[in-house]
Amino acid sequence: MSRVWAVAMNTIAQGLRMKLAVIVVLLLVILLPLMGVVMIGDGTLKGKLQTFVSYGLSLTSLLLCLLTIAVSTHTLTSDIKRRQIYLVITKPVRRFEIVCGKLLGVVLLITFLLGIFTLIIYSLTVSIPRIAKADAAQLEQVNEEFFTSRETLTDPVDEVRIKEQAIEEYRRLKENRQLPDGLSSKRVLFELEAKYRGIATNVQVGASRRWVFENIKGLDPDETIFIQYKFGVAVPRPDDKVYAVWDIGDDRQLKLDPSERKTDIMRAQKIDAIRVVQEFQVPAKVVAEDGYVSVVFHNPVQNQTTVIPQDVKVLYRSGTFTANFIRSVLLILARIIFLAALGVSISTWLSFPVAILICVVVFFAGTVNGFIVDSLDGLSMVAAIFYSVTIKPILWFLPQFDGEFSPAPYIIAGESIGWLFLVRIFAVTVLLKAALLTLFGIFIFHKKEIARITV
Amino acid sequence: MVSENSQFAIETVSLTKVFPDWWGRAKVVAVDNLDLQIKHNEVYGLLGPNGSGKTTTIKILLSLLHATKGSAYVLGGSSREAKISSRVGYLPEESYLYKYLTARETLDFYGRIFGLAAKTRKGRIETLLDMVGLAPMANRAVGTYSKGMARRIGLAQALINDPDVLVLDEPTSGMDPIGTRQMKDLILGLAERGKTILLCSHLLADVEDVCDRIGILYGGRMQMEGPVDSLLQKTDETQILASGLSSSALEKIKSIIAAEKADCSITSPMDKLEDFFIRTVSEAQRRKEPTSGAVNSGEISGFLKEEHAGSDDVLEKLVNASVDEVVSAEVEATTTEVAEVAKKANKSVLDELTQSTVADVESESPRPTVPLDDEGVSTSEIKEDVLNKLIGESRDE
Repeated sequence: MSRVWAVAMNTIAQGLRMKLAVIVVLLLVILLPLMGVVMIGDGTLKGKLQTFVSYGLSLTSLLLCLLTIAVSTHTLTSDIKRRQIYLVITKPVRRFEIVCGKLLGVVLLITFLLGIFTLIIYSLTVSIPRIAKADAAQLEQVNEEFFTSRETLTDPVDEVRIKEQAIEEYRRLKENRQLPDGLSSKRVLFELEAKYRGIATNVQVGASRRWVFENIKGLDPDETIFIQYKFGVAVPRPDDKVYAVWDIGDDRQLKLDPSERKTDIMRAQKIDAIRVVQEFQVPAKVVAEDGYVSVVFHNPVQNQTTVIPQDVKVLYRSGTFTANFIRSVLLILARIIFLAALGVSISTWLSFPVAILICVVVFFAGTVNGFIVDSLDGLSMVAAIFYSVTIKPILWFLPQFDGEFSPAPYIIAGESIGWLFLVRIFAVTVLLKAALLTLFGIFIFHKKEIARITV
Repeated sequence: MVSENSQFAIETVSLTKVFPDWWGRAKVVAVDNLDLQIKHNEVYGLLGPNGSGKTTTIKILLSLLHATKGSAYVLGGSSREAKISSRVGYLPEESYLYKYLTARETLDFYGRIFGLAAKTRKGRIETLLDMVGLAPMANRAVGTYSKGMARRIGLAQALINDPDVLVLDEPTSGMDPIGTRQMKDLILGLAERGKTILLCSHLLADVEDVCDRIGILYGGRMQMEGPVDSLLQKTDETQILASGLSSSALEKIKSIIAAEKADCSITSPMDKLEDFFIRTVSEAQRRKEPTSGAVNSGEISGFLKEEHAGSDDVLEKLVNASVDEVVSAEVEATTTEVAEVAKKANKSVLDELTQSTVADVESESPRPTVPLDDEGVSTSEIKEDVLNKLIGESRDE
């Protein structure tokens, strides 16, 4: 272990002497405070905080990921190229200890930098409200909606049911020979699914839709829960507004006599702009003892059009902003460990330019991984088979840095990053993928002819 | 194999290393069926011209390269085993140090790699820094060091584990004469303490001074191997060394030697290792043995020829006469001189020694060492001069 440590310390000294490290550190030291001052967002205090944290975390993550790639691919290749490895490897150090030491050194170095810069972001974030001298209403808003960590619950549309309905109707149409001409069966099914999905999500005038949320735990009755949603409409009104009536509570009690009900069912009436995320608060006492709450949307006649409520979520406070911020930093750390393992692993058998190129490609592929997967999922049958045996395993191995794996959206929305989710990410990204990469690197390095000469 | 029981500190068994080209085809045979056996507590010098496979052999011994065929043992096992590599010290041909570490940090790093306890490590670092004379600048980054100073640090790191086997690749390259002297003394001192030392060099004087045994490599094959003394000794010849001879003394010596051989020291004449080395290598070249190293064809590059041909007499001569020939002619001339003197001396005929030999030598010598037409110089003085000159040529230089 002391040998691994010696190699790690040397790797850190080596990494700190790279010009890129100095540039990254300087950039962040200058840019982060500057962003804290310059960024306004949408003019509100919450907007400013959201913009700063979002850009701050993204920039720190991007620059440190690039630095990780550079250091991890440089350290071993430079040792080999400058033959400094000759003096190390001829000593009683096992080759896996060198690989592990290099990896440990890179991870420690970048973790240290990540710690410093996220601490700067955190300090700036919590001091922005004081500096900005916002009014009480804005302060309350950011305290409720930004400086918090809220659990998010959703009740998505039952896609399985929609598929079943679509297939059922397809069979019926086929039996009655009513299938439209000139359309492939796949296309027809697609259209039918869209139709039933529309039925499930669209709310006609005078109709209503119900969402059920369960397992809301650990709330005091005097706290609040948040209902978050966004409206789409079939035909927008001239003022782009929607009248909305919401019933929130335990609707299983409706069968009971009102005197026997344990919790309230509350009604909220609102007028909201369309296509913008809306949010309102409800006292937590509407939640049933077992953590059950239902949310019902009624489309009143004033709207005169079909309303499509989207992304209906229930949020409730489940922790502190600080803890959530730390979890978001850990999310970044997971990708850094992956990249460090990738860099060290492939630099055991590739030269520096090739290794860094591959790492950068993997990194950017990781940031659009969701997009690639989505776009490839819509392939035709033959291509799909080819894809699922070739590209899909590679894509699986690629890290995922976008979508739910990106920390900034959580912090912006004040949404909790679940500990379980974090553990799952670490298990897959670090314990599985990074470990496999490292083992591969160790294997190659073990077999490697260090002073190899090819003529 | 248990290292303690092995007969040799370093051993290779028909070791072969072939460097392939990019497609994996065998291209260069760097080491060819080499059987090397170095006993414990021996100072062994591996010699050879550039590209003769010295460094390749060392790299295989240290597991930096994989042998194509055959095997290499250090202390009876592979140097990849930690328990063996912890007893080996290695000084590579150049300083492959981390430039940003100071001398002290460098030694500390390698001490940690050797897994030395903190106390031992600290103590040894200070001792080694003192020994190599870098204690005053131990806190300077190694990158700021001169080549010789970096070399000293390289030596210090090779000794930090108190190795049983020391592998030194060009130990004196880049060192000043004092450093070279110290290095040689150190090697001898380490040998006294029971270390086994394998050194490879083409600075022959260094090798001659410190090595018990040498081997000369050419084309990856061992051309000649043995103890330095016996390799350089010509057993069929005898040389008489004398100094301060006057003509009358010579007469006396003649009679004395004839009578009892009292005042004359009769020894076997020694070759300069340099001569021996060049002879061995040029013999190998004459046999047209394959080598991956530099072979002096004696031809001057085409572009030089075109530019200067015919324009300059001296240059033309240079172009036409192969450099090899010049070198070997000189070598042969020197050796014949010595041999002639020695053979005649062996007959113990002082007359011949004092009169005809000198004349012979004078007439045969391509480089007249005595102004022959200077009538003011007496014959005995000439003889004396010539003798001294000859003796000097074979002993010093």
